[in-house]
Amino acid sequence: MDRIFADVTTVAVIGAGVVGRRVVRQLAASGLVDRLILGSRRPERLHGFVRQLIGVDVEVIAPGPLPSVDVTVLAQPAGGHGELADEALGNGSHVVSVSDSLKDVQALLDLDAVATKAARSVIVGAAFSPGMSCLLARHAGSRFDRVEEVHVARMGTGGPACQRQLHRARTKEAIDWRDGNWRKRPGGTGRELVWFPDPLGARDCYRAALPDALLLSTNFPDADRITAKVAGTRRDRLTAWLPMLRSPHSDGGPGAVRIEIRGVRNGVRTTDVIGAIDYPSAVAGAIASIATEWSILDALPSGSWSLGMLDDPVPWLRELEKRGITAAVYEGISRS
Amino acid sequence: MRVLRRALLAMSVGTLVAAILRLRGSGGVPPRQGRWRQLSGPDFR
Repeated sequence: MDRIFADVTTVAVIGAGVVGRRVVRQLAASGLVDRLILGSRRPERLHGFVRQLIGVDVEVIAPGPLPSVDVTVLAQPAGGHGELADEALGNGSHVVSVSDSLKDVQALLDLDAVATKAARSVIVGAAFSPGMSCLLARHAGSRFDRVEEVHVARMGTGGPACQRQLHRARTKEAIDWRDGNWRKRPGGTGRELVWFPDPLGARDCYRAALPDALLLSTNFPDADRITAKVAGTRRDRLTAWLPMLRSPHSDGGPGAVRIEIRGVRNGVRTTDVIGAIDYPSAVAGAIASIATEWSILDALPSGSWSLGMLDDPVPWLRELEKRGITAAVYEGISRS
Repeated sequence: MRVLRRALLAMSVGTLVAAILRLRGSGGVPPRQGRWRQLSGPDFR
């Protein structure tokens, strides 16, 4: 069997929601993948989608043991990504996770030693936020001599699973990096008016259980403060304690990320603001797809890491630009 | 008793109005100076 499949590049995408399908489409068009295995709780619903994929062999599987493949993309709802990544590493597979759950992110980062020993990559938070937010923070931070504060804000969600995860995150404890220590803060507190790229404009943002600060702290160990907040309406805050009162939208976009970095450049205290606006599911699909393609090409370091831990985020931003996903910097003064 | 009923009614109406304003109202947006500039190739060197 090994000989038969020796030259066949196989990728498993677990989860066939909005993000999973976008990843599959991009991988099918990349020319790097010969065989795609699509994991879904309801395989019978994917016949129409599979028929749209041309030039690649597609197999749909139901939940069960993970297949032995070159790269496993975990695009299923948040929860259990750590266990699945461990299983995938045991199969000799690289892993790409799009989860934005704090618990998942921590579990995936804990696999660093296992991944390094197996010479495989576990790419954590390859989505919009975390993901695009980490790339932008890393890029903007590299222009400073010393970074003192990093503040991430996001709005919008991907598919229904992403919206449910955000609903849960609004009431859970947020973690802020402050003066070398983690501080737990109640979700839904810390209201701040944040200016997202136009046309989304100004939105109130609040703390929630978001993993961005955790993922950025490695690359900004000397920062005094690293925080992450998410946009929410008063209704979001009021109903956050209740079950979701209505079905989530099929796609929670458009969304945006905004990163404010304060620090010292050339001896002068400076604040830079960088952001992006797009459909979170589209950006997550593109980033997870790039991570998968570059894992296939063995162009990425082994170990468990996020995009905020990269030495050089520029190749990623260039590739995203080629795929139509651009960033923007704020030039001017915002008074809030 | 009548005074108590009136007080309760007034408090209920006040709470209802406050809740509506809180949920539906907008505090307005402060002004700003500046603009967003899209990053392109030269910014990624």
